Amino acid sequence: MGTKVEEAWKKGSAELLILSLLEDQPRHGYEIGKLIEVRSGGTLHFHVASLYPLLYRLEKRGWIEGRWVEKANQRRRRYYRLTAKGQRVLELQRKKWQEFAGAVGRIAGVQHA
Amino acid sequence: MPDWELEIRKHLAGLNLRPERQAEIIEELSDHLQQRYEELGAQGAGQKEAFQEVLAEIEWRDFVPELQASVRTPERGLVAEGATPSGHLFSDFAKDLHFALRMLRKSPGFTAVAVLTLALGIGANTAVFTVVDSLVLNPLPVEKISGLATVNTTQLKKTAQSGDLQAISYPNLKDIREQTRAFRSLAGHSYPMAVTMTDKDEPHRIFAEIVTANYFDTLGIHPFLGRFFLPDEDRTPGAAPVAVLGYAAWQSRFGGVSDILGKTIKLNETPFTIIGVGPKGFKGVYAVFGPDLWIPSMMAAQVLPAEQRNALTARGLPLFTGIGRLQPRVTLAQAQAEMKIAGAALEKEDPGANEGKILTVTPLLEAAYGPERQPVVLGGILLMAIVAFVLLIACSNVANLLLARASVRRQEIAVRISLGAGRMRLIRQLLTESVLLGLFSGILGFLFGYGGCRILESLRPAEYAENLADLRLNASVFVFAFAVAILTGLIFGIVPALRTSRVSVSEVLKEEARSRGRSRGRVALANMLLAGQVAVSLVLLVVAGLFLRSIEREYAIDPGFQTEHLALFMLYPGQAGYDRVRTEQFYKQVLDRVGRVPGISSVSWASNLPLWGRKETGIAIEGQETRKKSDAISAVIDTVDLNYFSTMGISLLEGRDFTQNDRDVSTPVAIINETMAAKYWPNQDALGKRFQLPQGREFLEIVGVVTTTNYQTLGEPPQACAYIPLRQHYTDSMILYARSERDPSTVLEAVPAEIHSLDPGLAVEDIRTGSKVMDQALWWSKMGVGLLGAFGMLALGLASVGLYGIMAYSVNQRRREIGVRMALGAGPGSVSLLVLRQGMTVVASGAGVGMALSLLLGRVLSRFLYGVSGSDPIGLGGASFALLAVAFVACYLPARSASRVDPLVALREA
Repeated sequence: MGTKVEEAWKKGSAELLILSLLEDQPRHGYEIGKLIEVRSGGTLHFHVASLYPLLYRLEKRGWIEGRWVEKANQRRRRYYRLTAKGQRVLELQRKKWQEFAGAVGRIAGVQHA
Repeated sequence: MPDWELEIRKHLAGLNLRPERQAEIIEELSDHLQQRYEELGAQGAGQKEAFQEVLAEIEWRDFVPELQASVRTPERGLVAEGATPSGHLFSDFAKDLHFALRMLRKSPGFTAVAVLTLALGIGANTAVFTVVDSLVLNPLPVEKISGLATVNTTQLKKTAQSGDLQAISYPNLKDIREQTRAFRSLAGHSYPMAVTMTDKDEPHRIFAEIVTANYFDTLGIHPFLGRFFLPDEDRTPGAAPVAVLGYAAWQSRFGGVSDILGKTIKLNETPFTIIGVGPKGFKGVYAVFGPDLWIPSMMAAQVLPAEQRNALTARGLPLFTGIGRLQPRVTLAQAQAEMKIAGAALEKEDPGANEGKILTVTPLLEAAYGPERQPVVLGGILLMAIVAFVLLIACSNVANLLLARASVRRQEIAVRISLGAGRMRLIRQLLTESVLLGLFSGILGFLFGYGGCRILESLRPAEYAENLADLRLNASVFVFAFAVAILTGLIFGIVPALRTSRVSVSEVLKEEARSRGRSRGRVALANMLLAGQVAVSLVLLVVAGLFLRSIEREYAIDPGFQTEHLALFMLYPGQAGYDRVRTEQFYKQVLDRVGRVPGISSVSWASNLPLWGRKETGIAIEGQETRKKSDAISAVIDTVDLNYFSTMGISLLEGRDFTQNDRDVSTPVAIINETMAAKYWPNQDALGKRFQLPQGREFLEIVGVVTTTNYQTLGEPPQACAYIPLRQHYTDSMILYARSERDPSTVLEAVPAEIHSLDPGLAVEDIRTGSKVMDQALWWSKMGVGLLGAFGMLALGLASVGLYGIMAYSVNQRRREIGVRMALGAGPGSVSLLVLRQGMTVVASGAGVGMALSLLLGRVLSRFLYGVSGSDPIGLGGASFALLAVAFVACYLPARSASRVDPLVALREA
């Protein structure tokens, strides 16, 4: 990572990634960052300085909602869950991404899964 | 555990976050870093190594701008389609409201003038339309007025009075009811008649209507309390002494007590039981004058004057007006056709009473006014047109104010746009301001309208106020005027603002104060609005002036009798149960006693009130062949006592006055006026000639001829009149005429005291002076002139305020130019002249247009004017002078302030 193009791609897809990860269950920031890294096989990596501002922005838009949760033998952590509005946005973005990726694939001759 | 907080805090420093938010972020990020640190540790990194690794991974340079963006307002552009944008409608609205209030408060002069101007326009429209609506469009609170029609008789022969609707006798009404099918139900009612009501011991004069039992059902109204008459109560003469009280009379005369039902009151000495109270607002079917109570027709003999006691059986005694509800699908024309047949049948059956008369069906809406309808409708239309113009002036005034203000605010708006205010937001703010202005005007206008209605109500003659129709504030007109006011605010407040918000910000800012708002187009529009206002004001003033001149002439009319030293007292001894002997004795005693009251020079009795002459048709002249009933001679008949002519100041031209010797047993005599003498005995001496009254059996010998006076209206064409002596023609209610030596008000108390000393049970309520009689005769005219004058002045006032506002504004805008002129040597006089000329040019052009319009309108109005032409120079000149004088003052004040501009200050300001 590091080139300008990749930065832009990452930025464009970041919202979709975060919303998707929160679809099944609430998660905290570290977990989200870790999952993105693991599931992308290390291709995508969000460090703390870009992940959290993004989370706050999504929260402000009302797509996700953060809540402090205390568990036994653990510091309290902020967990984020998808809101109903976020769910709608996620579905819309998924569709758009599919269309976009499909279109790019057809033009660029990339086989898409 | 490493201290992450310190590291994070360093980078948050410039963000100015709320402390609690900052603490949360620190906690969350610390946790994240700690987890990463622990993870690295688990992978075998040393403590120091792991710590450095964690810090190195963070790209802090992204952090601050990203975080800044996320804590600021959300980027709306990023919101996905379909997702609702996060609006803050309420808080924005509250802000707009707050801002608008602040702006209005910041320029209190503008706000006050705009609100007051619009409120006056709204109020005037609401009040006037309320009057027109309650008097003309919707005068009666009955069910479906369009289905109701009256049945009357009219003379077949066309003469000046033949169109007058006359009553029908009871037997005729009964026959019509049985013979016709056009009406689902046909009822009858008398005109409101004065009766004496004695409740406890106090006698009062009230008005009663004699109605058939189905009267209320026919109108489709329901009692407020109790019930109306049952068919059984209207079957046998004199059997059911019951009465229904009007709502207003119940409130005013009985204090609205709840136990009114079953109460007994005496009407002309017969006790009646109150069985019901009529609905609120219902005062009979005459729009302007109604009764206090109703009694069934079978009780007619108990309340009618002696000579009408046979009303239920005499076909020749018209007393009732038929009122019917048409059958469904029966038209007025069909009903009229059926009445024609019924009328012919009546004529055949009893030609003596019915010859030459036809039955006429009139929609109730028209009949409710009788002959008064035309002037009332026309007056209503005229007034409505006038207040519409007042509203127009008010709106154009406010438009001018807003235009002026908009040009001043161009800068303010440009600054706000440059600071990032959105166009929509700006428009919304201005919208809020305009609507708020309209709202305030509306509230104040409602109060003005309400007050106006109360004032108009209070102008009704006090002695009849209770019987006159109530005014119901008209909501739809208020809404209309209110909407017009708000619309004015919107159009003239928003349009300039829109234009401003579209222009390039830098352009406007560059304009600077120097050329602030001096757009030619705007000045031209303002001047046009002003000239229009001046024109409309002048028209209104001219109309008011013409009517004022007309009424002045009317007051100068000589009615033919003296009014300065006259006092009148209506007395109904028959209603107090007096028989003929006692009544005649009473008449003599009153003359004797009142004649001795100091300050009274002469007294007499007469049956007619001045200007309320009773006309009779069917006079027969001896020696001339009997005329057909249809072209019968008619004349005003007045029963009078001795000294009537000297009391009234009517001169005897020939022969003699009535004397003590004209009694029952002596020759029946009469005195006629010169019009009658000239008309029926042309070129001969009328003295000694004889004629017969319509109901009379014997011929009356003419013993005197007197001058002609006005009998029914002021300034009427000469009418024939015959006076007959009271002592030969008994009647049980008369009017006492007293001529005083000085102001008649001095004897107004002494006379009733004398009468009460004779009998405390007699009602003496209708007391008036001769000049009051004249005032009442001119009431409509005076009312019209008063309203016209008031609205004319209002229009002038509004136009002057507008003129002043615009001139003052323009002087303020031209300060620099004026400063330059003065610096170059122009004197204060020439500067004043410059400003004056500018203002008066607009005024003069408006006045020119107004004068042309007035001359046109004057032609239309001339038929409503008495003794004044539509182009009366005094009326036109006076109105123009008043307008120019006021306009001059409105221009002079700003001109004077212009001449006081200090060139140094003005130039430095610029």
